[in-house]
Amino acid sequence: MRSMTNYLAIPLLSLLATGASSAEPSTAPATARYTQAASGSSLTFTFTQLGAATEGRFRQFATDLRYDEKNPAASSLKVSVQIASVDTQDSERDDAIAMPELFDAAKFPVATFVADSLTRTATGLEAPGKLTIRGVTREMRLPLSIKSTAAGLELSGQTAFKRLDFGIGQGEWQSTESVGDEVKVQYKVALVRAK
Amino acid sequence: MPLRNTTRSWGAVSKSLHWLIVLLIIGQWGIAQYAEDLPLLAKGPPLNLHKSIGMTILALAVIRLVWRLVNPVPSLQGLAKNWECRLAHFSHVMLYALLMAMPLTGWMMSSARNFPVSWFGQFQFPDLVSPSRTLYQRMNDLHETLFAVLVIVALLHVAGALKHHFFDRNEVLRRMLPFGGIK
Repeated sequence: MRSMTNYLAIPLLSLLATGASSAEPSTAPATARYTQAASGSSLTFTFTQLGAATEGRFRQFATDLRYDEKNPAASSLKVSVQIASVDTQDSERDDAIAMPELFDAAKFPVATFVADSLTRTATGLEAPGKLTIRGVTREMRLPLSIKSTAAGLELSGQTAFKRLDFGIGQGEWQSTESVGDEVKVQYKVALVRAK
Repeated sequence: MPLRNTTRSWGAVSKSLHWLIVLLIIGQWGIAQYAEDLPLLAKGPPLNLHKSIGMTILALAVIRLVWRLVNPVPSLQGLAKNWECRLAHFSHVMLYALLMAMPLTGWMMSSARNFPVSWFGQFQFPDLVSPSRTLYQRMNDLHETLFAVLVIVALLHVAGALKHHFFDRNEVLRRMLPFGGIK
């Protein structure tokens, strides 16, 4: 039975592969696809805890960019962040961040940002898209700049959002006495051309 | 009461700093006891108060040491035996050292867990060390040990003052009392 499956699967797969490649336009597409390089990226955030600006980061996140420098509107961006990879240099606090009253990482393990285009601004670029955290989706214009590097591209920028807009803080955690509402986010992503 | 010390009595600045620090330390102990068993979220504000007061004590201790260095120190000559002077001197050195070591170890505890120290939310102090769980644990233990040492030395200090007052019937205690003084 197993040999039978293999027998069928191989020609089927090659058929699919040929089909896919023949669907590609003969000229290079205007948008080039980039994915996050294995290293060199950072996603950090700064929040106010008990009156002190405190930094943390997400260790695992993935970025997918289709980029057309001449026509930003044809570009698109997708970022997904693994909530459980949060690192505030204190394991107790990291556990607290994952609990249901805050990010509820068990139920909402991934936060995403999706934008279907980029627009030029006075200072650089902007990605008008949707930010989804803890199951709540909000429109957001993500400021960013993109520059060429030896390995590909580097996307960077910073923004801020209010955690309570996304329900990060239920019950008594809605209080902003200990943990402020505003969270600043800084991102620097090393991108390489996808094969 | 003059602001500055004389060779016979403490001035208003030294007295104020002495008693203010005493009150703050007692408060610090109370706040730490209160905060210890609170749930995670409720623990924050009292611990923050503890940290802010701790930094205040550190600053006051530095001011106090500087003030002591630029002022005459009331003498124990003729009021205490040699061994008493040596013991008193030892306990004073210990108290000054503890007044600084307690806040510094607390500050390191905060830095080691990436809970930066702010002063009543008004401004933020830089981190003293990089985050490390091991270092946090060590500083936590040290903070508690130093407090035990502080209690012992402070008791010795109080015992000495009371001995001077009730047994030797001299002015050593009276000259540090808030409104006391010597004629």
